[in-house]
Amino acid sequence: MATADTASHVLALATGWVVLAFVTIAGGAIVYRMWNGDIDLSEVISEPSGDASMSRFQLLIFTFVIAVSLFAIIADQHVFPQIPQGVLVLLGISGSSYLVSKGIQFSSAEGVTGGAPTVTIAPQRAFVAADGASSATFTATTAKDGDAVTWALFPATGAGAITQNGVYTAPSALPTSPYVVVQATTKDNATDVAVVELH
Amino acid sequence: MPSVADATSFVIAAFLAALAAGVGIRLLTGGINTRGLFHGRRRGGRAYFSPERVQLLAVTLWTAANYVTDALRVHSLPDVPPATLALLGGSHAIYLGGKAVARFAPLGTNERNG
Repeated sequence: MATADTASHVLALATGWVVLAFVTIAGGAIVYRMWNGDIDLSEVISEPSGDASMSRFQLLIFTFVIAVSLFAIIADQHVFPQIPQGVLVLLGISGSSYLVSKGIQFSSAEGVTGGAPTVTIAPQRAFVAADGASSATFTATTAKDGDAVTWALFPATGAGAITQNGVYTAPSALPTSPYVVVQATTKDNATDVAVVELH
Repeated sequence: MPSVADATSFVIAAFLAALAAGVGIRLLTGGINTRGLFHGRRRGGRAYFSPERVQLLAVTLWTAANYVTDALRVHSLPDVPPATLALLGGSHAIYLGGKAVARFAPLGTNERNG
């Protein structure tokens, strides 16, 4: 009987250490990957539109507060405490408010994109002399203020050049087609185009 | 040699601390996107400063701080007082109401014209 008890105790202890080793490795891997950027937290409280979400931020705060409090009580008293009804109601309010807020947001298309169109070029048309020096400046307005855009020309060769500030410089000779398409692309792949007419 | 319980406590405490530090540092240094946290979007996608979001954040932080203080004081998982739940519920109602008005209300003349 005593031998059975001892074996059972050893088995329980071994199981405890194995589970702890697994939790340590899993937790360590998560923290390591989080710190070196493999687990990307940059959008953890963001919406698909790119805007930060107050509901997600609140859920994050409450989750940390409850987790830390629960851990402190368990570590102190070595028992799993009864979860008070008020805590469940608090998390329920937070969670259901999040769902209602998503319902309101996704009830229209701009709730997903954050506002459409996401990029607009001005002016839409410019007339430039093909003398190798004349230029035109385009500006890109994005729905999310401050979003950088990438500028490109079509055709890519013989149509002049454009800087990443939107300054177009004409080629020194008129190409086969006098029309050049100027395109601005955001990091979310929203695009708009304008036309340069060379003369 | 430490007991399994002590070692588990240490591992979980270290994990929670590392997680909180990682999230906290990224929030402060911009590693976590907080753009638009205090801005809502009207119908049409135009952003606006949203006081209802500011009050929700204030009530959230107040509730969280109160809860942690209570937990440290009573050494058990404290219940949330009905008054706090009512305050939080009211704050959410203001937030959702403001969001619904911004999303569904007709655009003003200035907004229609851009």
